[in-house]
This record gives sequence, structure tokens and C-alpha cells, in this order.
Amino acid sequence: MRPPPSPLIELRGLGKSYREGERSRSVFQGLTLAIERGAQVALLGPSGSGKSTLLNLLAGIDLPDAGTLKVDGIELPRLDEGARTRFRRRHVGFVFQFFNLIPTLTVAENIRLPLELNGLDTPAELARVAALLARVGLQDRQHSYPEQLSGGEQQRVACLRALIHRPALLLADEPTGNLDIASGRRVLELLLELTAEAGSTLLLVTHSNEVAETCERVLELRQGRLVQVRP
Amino acid sequence: MSTLLWRSLLRHLLRHPWQLALAVLGIALGVAVVLAVDLANQSARKSFEQSVERVSGRANYRIVGIDGVPQEVYVRLRLERGLRDSAPRVEGYPALADEPGRRVQLLGLDPLAEAPFQRWRPADGEALDLRRLMLEPDAAVFPPDIPGDSLMLIREGLRHRLRAAGRLQGTAAAGLVIVDIATAQRLLGLGERITQIDLILPEDAEGRRQAAELRQWLPAGLRLERSAERNAATAELSAAFRLNLQALSLLALLVGMFLIYNTMTFAVVQRRPLLGMLRALGAERGELFRVVLGEAVALGLAGTVLGALLGVWLGSGLVGLVTRTIDDLYYTLPLRQFHLEPLSLLKAGVLGPTASALAAWWPAREAAASPPATVLSRATLESRRRAAVPRLALLGLGLLAAGGLWLWLSRGLLAGFFGLFLLLAGCALLSPGLPLLLAWALRRVWLWLPPTLRMAGRSLGRHLSRTGVAVAALSVALAASLGVGVMVDSFRGGVEIWLRQLLSADLYLAPVEQDGTALRPEVVAALQRLPEQAGLNLSRHRDIWLDGHLTHFSAVRLTPQGQAGYRLLAGDPVTAWAALVEGDAVLISEPLAYRRRLAPGDRITLDTAAGPRPFTVVGIFHDYGSEHGRILIDLARYQALWQDPAISTASLYAAPGQGVEALRRAVEAGPGRLQALALRSNRDILELSLAIFDRTFTVTRVLRLLVVIVAFVGILSALLALQLERAREFAVLRAVGLLPTELGRLMTAETALLGLCAGLAALPCGLLLAEVLIEVINRRAFGWTLPFQVDPILLVQTVALAVAAAALAGLYPAWRLARTPPAWALRTE
Repeated sequence: MRPPPSPLIELRGLGKSYREGERSRSVFQGLTLAIERGAQVALLGPSGSGKSTLLNLLAGIDLPDAGTLKVDGIELPRLDEGARTRFRRRHVGFVFQFFNLIPTLTVAENIRLPLELNGLDTPAELARVAALLARVGLQDRQHSYPEQLSGGEQQRVACLRALIHRPALLLADEPTGNLDIASGRRVLELLLELTAEAGSTLLLVTHSNEVAETCERVLELRQGRLVQVRP
Repeated sequence: MSTLLWRSLLRHLLRHPWQLALAVLGIALGVAVVLAVDLANQSARKSFEQSVERVSGRANYRIVGIDGVPQEVYVRLRLERGLRDSAPRVEGYPALADEPGRRVQLLGLDPLAEAPFQRWRPADGEALDLRRLMLEPDAAVFPPDIPGDSLMLIREGLRHRLRAAGRLQGTAAAGLVIVDIATAQRLLGLGERITQIDLILPEDAEGRRQAAELRQWLPAGLRLERSAERNAATAELSAAFRLNLQALSLLALLVGMFLIYNTMTFAVVQRRPLLGMLRALGAERGELFRVVLGEAVALGLAGTVLGALLGVWLGSGLVGLVTRTIDDLYYTLPLRQFHLEPLSLLKAGVLGPTASALAAWWPAREAAASPPATVLSRATLESRRRAAVPRLALLGLGLLAAGGLWLWLSRGLLAGFFGLFLLLAGCALLSPGLPLLLAWALRRVWLWLPPTLRMAGRSLGRHLSRTGVAVAALSVALAASLGVGVMVDSFRGGVEIWLRQLLSADLYLAPVEQDGTALRPEVVAALQRLPEQAGLNLSRHRDIWLDGHLTHFSAVRLTPQGQAGYRLLAGDPVTAWAALVEGDAVLISEPLAYRRRLAPGDRITLDTAAGPRPFTVVGIFHDYGSEHGRILIDLARYQALWQDPAISTASLYAAPGQGVEALRRAVEAGPGRLQALALRSNRDILELSLAIFDRTFTVTRVLRLLVVIVAFVGILSALLALQLERAREFAVLRAVGLLPTELGRLMTAETALLGLCAGLAALPCGLLLAEVLIEVINRRAFGWTLPFQVDPILLVQTVALAVAAAALAGLYPAWRLARTPPAWALRTE
């Protein structure tokens, strides 16, 4: 009998605090969590509860003060800054609330960027960029710059950029928070569809219960503790 | 490396064409100034070399004397020593009668001895037989730049016509006229003397043996020397001047580097969110570092190409100023051509991108250290910058202390410049804190200020990440300009005081020719008998060998008033002048004492007509006449020891009741009829000397101006970019009801206050630089002390310039924003 697959994200006793002048402010302590590969998880929590901090830790952007943090079997705090960057480049995709597309690159170039950074810019992969753009109805906008797109269009491009290199983990920080209801719904559908196709694990930070309901598992960060809301 | 990474960052620059253009222009100006000065210096050097080479040919040794060489020595050299590879040379710089102020290099040769020396080149296809010069009286080989078949030279008021017997070719032959030796002697009034004897000796042990024997054989007063060494020594005369120019041009580059640093820092700070995004997507630190550095090098290359073009144009203008200064102060430069030296271009080609890379190193590191995503907010960045100000100030104080210590302990001109640059860097690090200080000071008078000024004051310290370097760059440039300005003013003031003291006589006279011609004995005798004079100073000026270096030498017979004109810095005036008359004693000038570390009581050995003789230094006098020093001796003693009765110049005091004009008329009517004399009152000489002084500092003024222009471009670019970047902030102000005129006032007041910071920072720094330039650099370069004189207008000008430049930078963004609907700015930002 084969052993059960190891979880993609493993947190044990994770703690993080920030210095504010002379004082130290604890964001969370003793956080423990496991998320399976391919899962779609929503993370709820009030402002300042540490949701974005947790995403930064999972992406290797920030380091915890205590505990174990493993993503795809790799203990991130053990990596140096360069290795964490390479890890993020290869294994993580990011979708932000404010899109954060590179304003000086065209739509197609923005999507191609992770491929190039990972050395995956083969003709076949580049052809996939065009196909994906067609799929989201932006084939005519591939040479446009982000500022020429609506918010919903920009976020669709951001989703494609985050997933084009098939990362193991997609971190989405309130991806619909800056969009109207219709655009938000369309982006959310796209995100779920693409992560499922790529086999990526999705961790979606949101304030909206409605958005959280679309994910198979819902967690909430409350007063520095993780609470399982669903299932 | 990812091309998209490059593209994403480079397109940012392309989207801000004004910023990009000003950055490139800043680098270009920095490179242009350095290249122009280098080209001008190299052209002067090359012109000197060419003018030496064209008359030296293959000669590797020469025999010279202070007053030339008796012709008979040449005859004996050929007959007694059998030296066939020897040729006499007569050289002088007579004026062209029809073109006042223009001189030619007159070369007198013996056509029969010339063959081995190969020192001229006739026109193509023209077989020039120099023997024609011997056979036809007044025949000459003309230079390519004098058209026609005849030319008129003037000496002692007499005109001499020369006829063309051939023509030289090539620009290197410009201004060179070849005649036979007898014609040259006649034209230059040398009698039976020649300028020198050129020799070709073997370049081996045998040659050295022959040279040693020849030195033994030569009569007293003559020397055998290697041509190359002599030429190098002559070229060395202007070395300090050229080094000073080079340093000033490097200052422009330093300011240029500040601008690049400023531009790159600004570009990095502006793109922090972009860099953060790229880091979040997985761009490595090294990649971002390389891209930002590469960007700087690309900017450097573009600036260098533009700078090279500008530099060549500027250099061709500067070469005239540099060669004229060398001509005025050091030695005659018959050739004044602009040479486009490939090495200078190569240096500029390396310098521009390298300076850009160096200046961008720290910003590139900052770019690489950008935290991924937008973790670091603008507010955090600014507060970090504010927190860094005390550390920078402390580092600045440290550099100032290190610079001071270095200047105190070091010797040598280059070390002096290094210390100066340390001080400049220290000042630069102190200045970014000034906006905070000014904001603090404005808060003290808050209630008295109009609202827009209050708002402007509040924002002073809020954009330190953008404005700190701009303020530092402008203050360094202005400080450099102020320092050089104060130094030049002090120098001019010192020279004027010195001249007023020295020129105590009423009327000065010398032969019209400035080629070493002496006053005729009958003229001197007539001057002595002149009833309209109450006192007569006589001087013999010449050069003398001092430890192998030619040094100015003046033998004087002075009235007590004339003696009082020499201010003694060391030694007792009464005993010193008495000692001069009574024994083997000399007075030496301050630069000579400084260079040779001589003090009263020390002894120097001079070559008299009877051979070397020791003299005691009895005093050191204040003198700006020559940076290489001057020796003063009693005229009677000189005439006895050097057997030279000639008098070069004389000066007269009007008898009581006689005005200067009456004295002038008496001289013109009497001695003036015996010889063509140039008569000048002390006022005339003062004016002429100060005019020459101003002329020699024209090049300094031009460079000073260029440094200010470079800084102006810098401040314009930084503040322009800052104000454009804040379009959204200003649009919000418009949206809440600020009128376009009020907004314009606010923006201009903000930039003007920053300019005020830079201007105020420049004052103490500039005065410190002036002090170092006066006390250290000038002392080490030229050996003289200068008074410290500050013209308050210069201080006001410095601050006004800074405020005006900065205020101007606020005008365009204000104008642009006033024409933009606030909604558009809010939407597009």
C-alpha cells in the first residue's frame, strides 16, 4: 500500500511578530496547518489578522520567528534569500488585490515573464500564452499595456501570469476585492478553473464569505489562531 | 538574463523622456568638460612637441648658454673636435609687421650643415635647395599659413622684408620661417652669437663618452644637454597649471557623477513598487542589480557619445585659451593647433560609462534589496531616509575630519586634490539633512508664513529619498564654484596689492621688442642725466641655471622706494638690502623658497661667467611674477660676476613738481630718440597685468560656469521629476479647491526652498574649499600665499543661483498641471 501523499503546505507552531518602535507586536503564534496538494482553500479574517503576512511567509518573502514552515517538502526558513527567490519563481504564483501588473510590459509580455524567468519560454509555451489569452477573451489586447485595460481585464491577465508556469502553489490576496461583482465573479471562476487544470494548490485570502464559499475548504485567522470553518 | 526584465525597467525610462534626456545631458556635460580640458591640454602639449620637433629634427644633444652661444664655439667644435654631425641654430619669435600681436618662429640654419638633421619638409614635389638662402639676401622658406611671396617682420621699430624662396607644407609647419643663419642673427640682433648648437651623438657608450669629453671641453657658461630632457623640463613649466585645469574638469565630472547617482537613485526609488513586483515574481537580487547597473552604463554610453561631440567642440574653443595662458605665463607656443587625440577620446569613452556604473552602484544595490511586493511603503522608505540623515551627517563630519587631517599630513599637489575631494564628499553628506533643518526652522515662524509657503515648508523633509541627493549635488557644484570664485578673487586681490606695492616708480620703460633686447647704454646714460627724474631703478632680467633648472633672475639697482616695493616675508629688510650690495648675497622669491625649502642663511650655487659660485640667501620676498621662482641680486655685483653690462628695463620717479606726463615727454624727447622704447606708467602696467591675469583665468571661469550648468541640469532634472511624480497629490489639492495659481506658487515655493537649502549648504562648504584652494592647492602648485578675500556679492549670487535654478524646476510641472483637469490626473496616476 502506497503512503498517503505529503501535504503541500505544512505549518507547525508558526509564529510571527513585528517590531513597532520599542515594542514587539505578535501577529500570530503557534499556527499549525496542513494543506493537501491540489486543494482550494479560502482564508478569511479581519484586517490586520495576519492573512497577508501568512501569504508572505508561504512565498518565502518573509521569515517566521518560530515554528516549522514547509512548502512542497521544502523548509523555507532554511533557504537563503537567493534560494527562496528561486523557489518562489518556480513554485509560487501570486495574484494581488491591486493586480500589480508590470506597467511597462504589454499584456502578453506580463504573462510571458514567469516563463522567461524560469527558462521555460519555449515556442510551445509561448503559443500557450496566446491560447490562454484567447480563452479569456483578451486576444486582441495582447499588445496593450495594463493601464489600457479595465480592472477585470487586468486581474484576468494577472491570473494567467500567476499560473502560466504551472506553480505548485497559487497565493491570491483578495483577488476580487477591487472589482465589481460581475468582474469579480468572472475572475474567481477563472482562478478556480485554471488552478484545477494546472493541479495547483490555491490559497485565497478574502473578506467575502461568498467568495470563500466557492472553495472546498475555508479557514479563518482570528486573534492569531487558525480556525477551520469548513468542512 | 530575462529580456523582459530589461524591457520592463528600460521602458520606464523611455516613458519619462524629460528625465531621461536630462540624465543623459548631465553625464554628457560632465564627460564633455573632462574631454575638452584633456583635449586642450593635450593639444597644447602636442603643439609644444611639434614646435620643438620641427626645429630639432634628429638632434639628440645641444649646446646652450644663458645668452646663447658664441659663433666661434661652433667653428672650433667642427675644426678642433671634428664633430661633423653638428649644426648651428638661431631661433627667435619676431612679430609680423602687418599683423600686430602675431609672431612667427624664425629659424636660422647653416644650409651646409643641415643634411643629417632633416628638420624641415618642403612642399610636395618642390626640391628645396637651402643653399638659395645663402646666396639670395633676405630669402626665406615660408610656412604654409603665410600666403604671398613676401612678409614683413619688425624688430626695434625697424622693418625687415623677407622673400619666399620655398614653402613648407603641413599644419605642423604653421608659423615657421626658415632663413640662413646670418639673416637670422641680423633680424634678431644677435651679432656673432647663435641660440644653440645641435648635435647628433651615438646613443651608446661611445656617445656618452663623447658627451663627457665635450662637457670638459666647453667654455664656462655653456652646457651640453640632452634635447629631450630640456624639452621635457620646458613642458614641465606649465604642469601645475595643466594639473589645476584637469582637477577642475574632474570636479565637473564629480558633479556629473552626483547627477548620475541622483538620476539612478531617483529611478530606483520611483520604481520601488515595480521592483517589488518583479521580486515577488521571482526576479533575483543579482538580476535586478545587473539590470539597474546595465541601465546606468547604457545611459553613460549615450551621455558619453553626446559628451564626446560636445567635448570636441568645447575643446577646440578651450585650446585657444589654454595655449594663450601658457604663452602668457610660461613659454612661447608658436603652434596653437587643436589635436583630436585618440587617447583622450578613449579616456572619455571609458570614463563616462565607468563613472556612470560607479555612481549607480549604490542605487543598484538598493534596487536589488527591494523587498518583494509592496511590503515597504513610501512612508516607511521616507522615514528610513530621515533616520539615515544623522548617520550620513556623522559620516560627512568624519570625512571632513579625515580630509583635514590628510591635508595637514600630506605633501604634494595630487595629495592636496585628494584631500579636497574628501572635504567635498564630506560636505555632500552633510547637505541632505538641510531640508529637515530648514523645515524645523520654518516651523518656528510658522504663523507668519502665507499658507502656500507653510505647505511647502511642511513637505520639505517629506521627500528626502528624492530630494536629498539633488540638494547634495547642487550644493557641491555651487560650493565648488564658490570656492574657485573666492580663490580667483583672492588671487586677483593679492596680485593687485602686490603690484601696487611693487610699482612704486612713475614711469617704466623697456625696448619695444619683448625678445630679450637690452636698453642701449646711451639710453641708460641719458636716463641718468634726465633732470625731470628724481630716482632711477635699473634691472637686468634673464634666466639662470639653478641645479639644472632655468630660473628667473633679476639684477637690480633700486632706490630706497624701489626696495620698499619688495615685501620681505623672511629676513630683515635693512640688513638684507645692505648684504646684497656688500657680498655674495641674493634675495629669493617665495615660490622658489617653498619649492627648494630654502630659508635665510641657506646657500645656493649659481653659474657665473667665472664658473659656479655660492651665494647666501638673505631674504625671501613676496612675488607673484613666476611660480617657478626668481632670484634677486645687486646689479653691480651681477655685472662684475657675469660680465654682462646690459640693462633690460628701467623705471623713473618724477622729480618734485614734475608730473608723470612731463616725465614721459622728457623721455620721449631724449632717450626715446635713441631707441624705440615702450613707456608705461605704473597704472598702465597695473591694468595690463590685471588684464593678463583675467585672461589667464578665462579658462577657469569657463570651467566654473560649466560646473554650474551641470549642476543646474541636475537640480532641474531631479526636481522636475519629483514634481511630475507627485501629479496625483497635486491633483487632489486641485480637486479640494486649490487654484492653479496657488498650486503654481506651492510647487515653485517647494523647489525654491530646496534650492535655498542647497545654496545655504554651499556657503560654508565653498568657503572651506576656497581656504583649501588658497592655503593648500595654490601653495603646493605655485608656492605662493594669497590673502583670503570674500566678495559678499559672490555669496549672494551663489544662493540666488541655487534658488533660481530650483524655482525654475517647479515652473514646468506647475504649468503642466495647471493645464490638466484634476480628474484626469487622478484617473491616470
